[in-house]
Amino acid sequence: MSLYRWRGLSSNRTFVGLDNYKKLAADHLFWQCVKNNLWLLVVGGTALIALGLLLAHGMQTRGALTRFLRSIYLFPQVVSLVVVAILWMFLYNPTHGLVPDLIRRIGIQPPAEGFLGSSTLALPSVCAAFVWYALGFYVMLFSAGIHQIPIEVSEAAELDGATGPRRFFGITWPLLWAVRRVACVYVVINVMNVFALVYLMTRGGPDRHTDTMLTYLYEQAFVDRQFGYAASLAVVNLVIALLLSAVVMVLLRRNPTAART
Amino acid sequence: MNGKLISRIGMLIYAAAIVAPLAWVIISSFKSGFEIFESPWALPAKPEWSNYQEAWREAGIGHNFFNSLVVTSITLAILIPCGAMAAYVFARYPFRGSRALFTTFLGGMMFPNFLVIVPLFFLLRNLALLDTLTGLIIVYVAYSLSFTIFVLSGFFQTLPASLQEAAMVDGCGHSKTFWKVMLPLARPGLLVVAIFNAIGLWNEYNLALVLLPSDKNRTLPLGIADLVMTQHYQSNWGALFAGLVIVMLPMMVVYWVFRDRIYQTMLAGALKG
Repeated sequence: MSLYRWRGLSSNRTFVGLDNYKKLAADHLFWQCVKNNLWLLVVGGTALIALGLLLAHGMQTRGALTRFLRSIYLFPQVVSLVVVAILWMFLYNPTHGLVPDLIRRIGIQPPAEGFLGSSTLALPSVCAAFVWYALGFYVMLFSAGIHQIPIEVSEAAELDGATGPRRFFGITWPLLWAVRRVACVYVVINVMNVFALVYLMTRGGPDRHTDTMLTYLYEQAFVDRQFGYAASLAVVNLVIALLLSAVVMVLLRRNPTAART
Repeated sequence: MNGKLISRIGMLIYAAAIVAPLAWVIISSFKSGFEIFESPWALPAKPEWSNYQEAWREAGIGHNFFNSLVVTSITLAILIPCGAMAAYVFARYPFRGSRALFTTFLGGMMFPNFLVIVPLFFLLRNLALLDTLTGLIIVYVAYSLSFTIFVLSGFFQTLPASLQEAAMVDGCGHSKTFWKVMLPLARPGLLVVAIFNAIGLWNEYNLALVLLPSDKNRTLPLGIADLVMTQHYQSNWGALFAGLVIVMLPMMVVYWVFRDRIYQTMLAGALKG
């Protein structure tokens, strides 16, 4: 379908070969979307992996707080993305949202146009909502990884007095390389397929500062009725996601513990 | 000691960051529109139950709720038997090419469904199933099948083969063995998969957005998203928050009741995929 120019009326479908892809390569709006996706990937992905690891590490201790946290940390995952998007729209609301209010209390003046209306802050704000939503999954992934660390290693570390940060960087971090690799692939897939959150929170605005590949795809297909063009966008999105996943797999291929054992 | 304190503070912040926004939604759903606007942090002076009434009736959330209930339950009613039968064959009757077929199914688990949305839209339009719940249900069944087969075949593999043999010796045919012996044994697995799928289907937005263009068949996520757009002009925010609670609370309760089993299923899916 990506090789046709087609506006949804079957009589008017013409084969245009690779024209859609040529158009895509020259489409600066498309490149803006790719840039936004990559920004989300780098910033959001780093936050997800770093926070996920740290929180999973912290949640290994016993106690009332950890027990409570363990039973609630997947809540954002079972709430619909629509609810997450609306919830955060209200949290960011310039006149009575909690986030601007908090910031005002600290003594910083929040942007008058609102977090989601500011061209510089809109993408980070959407990213924060995305991290809030997705974090539980990565905490879960890393918690499971930490559980798989052989008990002898943890005990030996404890006997040698490795606790807190030392234990984190000496034991947890290197031994979790395999889980980290899986987590990175998930980050790529998740971020490349961000749609509902952006679509509902900002519609890609202001002025396409938060537009992502899939919101652009939706607009091309179901608003502008450029179905062939939208299909080529889907193909390119998939190719980019596969390429990035492959890069992650190759970059993190080496087992950092192998040299020592 | 210092490290411990930092980790405690970090976890406290994390817990607050999860609970506070969700609690805020629930608290705001009992406030009048004026209270939400004037004192966002305060508790409601008196709970406004009428918000729920308004959301359910006037805003049409009740209608959407019913649609979601129909879609989710019919999808599960088709999905679970089909998935169980396929999974059983994959687990117990290896045939030529069964591994390749199974891997293909797993690939479907990872594939982002929004990328096929354009062809899917036309497929349903040509079948005259666009904008119908039937069409959405068929798509949902197809899209949930991968994960269902993956989890259930893992479950069937753990059941002892001797039971299957014993049933055969006692004169059950292949199908009777499955329906009378193996399927009842797999009940815990079926339950988890059903719950897990129910949560995903109840919350699903992307496919429903494209495949249900008109108002009448809207599912709950579509209805609430639409409410935000119209409520911007009416500013009856209490009802909007009540609507949000109606969407999120059932799945939070389900998750709370079955959290240990859901956790294990999610993890299995995440690590294998």
